Amino acid sequence: MQTRPNVELMKAELTEPIKDALTEKVSIRNLDFFYGDYRALKSISLPLYDRKVTAFIGPSGCGKSTLLRILNRMYDLYPGQRAAGEVLLDGKNIIDPKTDVNLLRAQIGMVFQKPTPFPMSIYDNIAFGIRLYEKVPKADMNDRVEDALKRTALWDEVKDKLQASGLGLSGGQQQRLCIARSIAVRPQVLLLDEPTSALDPISTAKIEELIYQLKADYTIAIVTHNMQQAARAADFSAFMYLGELVEFGTTDQVFTRPREQRTEDYITGRFG
Amino acid sequence: MNTAVTAVAGNPSPTLARHKLMESLLRILTRCAAITVLIMLSGVIISLIDGSLPALKAFGFSFFHTESWNPVTEKFGAAAPIYGTLVTSLIAMLIGFPISIGIAVFITELCPPKLKQPISTAIELLAGIPSIIYGIWGLFVLAPLLQKYVQPLLIKAFDGVPGLSTLFAGPPYGIGVLTAGLILSIMVLPFITSITRDVFETVPPMLKESAYGLGCTTWEVVRHVVLPFTKTGVIGGVMLGLGRALGETMAVTFVIGNAHRISHSLLAPGTTISASIANEFTEADGTLYTSSLIALGLILFIITFIVLGAARLMLLRMKQSEGR
Repeated sequence: MQTRPNVELMKAELTEPIKDALTEKVSIRNLDFFYGDYRALKSISLPLYDRKVTAFIGPSGCGKSTLLRILNRMYDLYPGQRAAGEVLLDGKNIIDPKTDVNLLRAQIGMVFQKPTPFPMSIYDNIAFGIRLYEKVPKADMNDRVEDALKRTALWDEVKDKLQASGLGLSGGQQQRLCIARSIAVRPQVLLLDEPTSALDPISTAKIEELIYQLKADYTIAIVTHNMQQAARAADFSAFMYLGELVEFGTTDQVFTRPREQRTEDYITGRFG
Repeated sequence: MNTAVTAVAGNPSPTLARHKLMESLLRILTRCAAITVLIMLSGVIISLIDGSLPALKAFGFSFFHTESWNPVTEKFGAAAPIYGTLVTSLIAMLIGFPISIGIAVFITELCPPKLKQPISTAIELLAGIPSIIYGIWGLFVLAPLLQKYVQPLLIKAFDGVPGLSTLFAGPPYGIGVLTAGLILSIMVLPFITSITRDVFETVPPMLKESAYGLGCTTWEVVRHVVLPFTKTGVIGGVMLGLGRALGETMAVTFVIGNAHRISHSLLAPGTTISASIANEFTEADGTLYTSSLIALGLILFIITFIVLGAARLMLLRMKQSEGR
């Protein structure tokens, strides 16, 4: 017998130790997802708190990447995939077909498993996204590009070669460029889909440091296979298994005092 | 284990010798195959130059810019066929390229999965139609249609517009340079489409998703990510299509009108290099006539070579400007 985690109950518990008030930036409510006839997510309910990092953990195929890709409606690109339920961004249901996906994706940035710099210069990689929605004078654009690169600690490494191709950077630099590109358009939420899975330990440490700094301004959701990464980087963790949300709570609680046996088994490495 | 080692080390000859023999045989055979290409290419070049020498000697450099083509007085010039070849190919690319890109984008980005296969198959079938079929279809179906409906409209529409009025002037013959260009555009379409579709499909989905993830529309993704990522392949496809357009013979011969003159109007009949050769080779008597036709062939060869070279140069420049 398994009981569905009671998010309201958890929230009540959470608010005790955490002094500052938590506001729900994104509220996922009774969310189902289908690949054709296959039900990949089963009635997920979960909050993403404003300016906090939430990690989705769980074994391969548990639906954590699927869940992340719903948040910016990436699944819209593929026929046969559909979501049912509610995902509220500041109270507005983004699953609603009437929501403009392009505008939504400008508000919710995404970074992928592998670095995906566009085939253009470092400068243009960042300016590109800004130009899509804003008409920015050249001088302001320079500032925006510089700001994005500084926030991702890339500025000192690339300031002398802004016109060089983004493809010429190292893997870790490319991934930071991709994060810079995402935050340059000033999104409210940042989705990171295993952002360090293709990177070496040093680059990984830099990205994690970056996540820590970015949460001052953004609501961040991160999918990770790496337990330590979740423990280090996330304020909240959601453990998923076979399309279900097994447990959600503060990272501290999930990792040290898991309520569910399955969570404990996974975290201690008994399966997964 | 010890015995196994000594078995291999002690008795290496039969197996190793056979491997060695196979290796050297493979090397010799593949090298021969590669050299054959070079021999054939140089053979073609040599015989073209050799065959065209009499004409080039008789007319000199003026062969390239003389318009007249008179078998009776044996005065030959290649200007008209060169002009016709270039103009028909240009028209073909101007019409064919955007449509091909459009089809490729639709198939790879927007097409419902059910439609994908039928459209791809239709394009492959289009490539399989023999050029003679395009020729008779062009002559008996397309040309009359153009003559009756499209050309009068063009003449009327551009009447009085400076520049364009001379391009679309004169009586609507039906056959002519424009018709040949149209037929060619249909013929190059499947080539460019299938190559651009294939290279579009090599774009990593994650790269496209990251562009969509920034809020790009499909057009913006195609324009800023897919096309730059695949430009080498797309240019390759265009060059293949251009090569076909420049050299296409049968279909063009049917619909171009075969008139050795340069007319400012696209509606007027003209000729291309390959059409001239195909039309006149059987009736070419006299060395000078034959030699002039071979010289035309040599020119076509050179034009194709220049086109390919220009494409290579363009790609090189692009790579340099990217700083890679």
